[in-house]
Amino acid sequence: MAVPNFAAIDIDRSKCTIPFACKKCLTGCLQSVFSVSAIKVERGRETNPNEPGTYALHAPHRDKCTGCNDCIELCPEDAITVTFA
Amino acid sequence: MNWVDEAFGDPEFGEGRWYLNPKNHSRQMYKVKKPGEKPAAFGSDPEAQSGRKMGEIMQKRFTDPEEFEKLVKEANAMKEKSPFQIGQVIPLEEAKRVAELSYPVASMSCICRIGARGHEERNEHEYSCTGLGVGMLKWERWPERYKGGVNFMSPEETKEWLTKWNKKGMVHIIMTFGGSYVGGICNCDYPDCGMIRNRVDYGITPGCLKSPWVATVDFDDCNGCGVCVQRCQFGAIKFEVTTEKTNVDQFKCFGCGLCETACPTEAIDLLDRESLPALKEVW
Repeated sequence: MAVPNFAAIDIDRSKCTIPFACKKCLTGCLQSVFSVSAIKVERGRETNPNEPGTYALHAPHRDKCTGCNDCIELCPEDAITVTFA
Repeated sequence: MNWVDEAFGDPEFGEGRWYLNPKNHSRQMYKVKKPGEKPAAFGSDPEAQSGRKMGEIMQKRFTDPEEFEKLVKEANAMKEKSPFQIGQVIPLEEAKRVAELSYPVASMSCICRIGARGHEERNEHEYSCTGLGVGMLKWERWPERYKGGVNFMSPEETKEWLTKWNKKGMVHIIMTFGGSYVGGICNCDYPDCGMIRNRVDYGITPGCLKSPWVATVDFDDCNGCGVCVQRCQFGAIKFEVTTEKTNVDQFKCFGCGLCETACPTEAIDLLDRESLPALKEVW
């Protein structure tokens, strides 16, 4: 079985800096492809979501992406690119 | 009886169901660690459990789908030794029975919805997850660390609270946090719930086993209003045009009872899964 043609979702972290405060792609994706997690944890505590670089966006369910490109339209920073092989 | 009941249930309590066995709600179960030994591979440390190995398996979807399917099959067959957390769908009535067994009970924010939708639950009016047992005291002590703290509830308050989320359309999933310790009743929905998603999308069974019940429709009582159709998270209910009644695919049914609690004419009942020969081994 060959690897299926899953979407490759590239998130430009230099543009997507406050995903937890913005959350447009998180709430707007029909397939719920995206996920957000804290990357800056100080002594077990998460930090301010409005401070750039404290949270990071991922696409753990990109195998469920249909390529509708809604996230690209929603993203205010043009940080997301979706490509199929 | 499913494999969790066989491993953690006691026939003398709660019809042999693992989550109604008082031993799985006791303080001693929280950390099973013998002096001088490291905690057992699965679960003994409720916070370190499952995360890493599960992540490795999930990554295989993209690099080697065949290997992924093989690993999932293996993990499912490992039963209570599986790297995946154990969880089971239960109907509202059984969730209420658990509320009477467990102490303390607290509402808290849902970790799945934070990650999947960036959905923050900041106070007791927004909290949607139930934490059970002594672990909740830790949540209360360090609210910043545990994403917003907890709101302790009496058994009566818990029942009302579970009913509120049932009305909104959430599936109750009872979960273990460390060995057989019953640590939470999550109120879940697809796709943001990790457990339901893992089962429905990827075939990972231990985290979202079916309940000991199966929905059935009495065609004489069903008025075909279709309210139940909107409630099913598992695609088991459809409105059948020919009969103008609701139709339940009992093979797909998880027995959560959301359709039953919504039915205005009481046409939907929950049957004991074991009373149906074709379904008694389907968990």
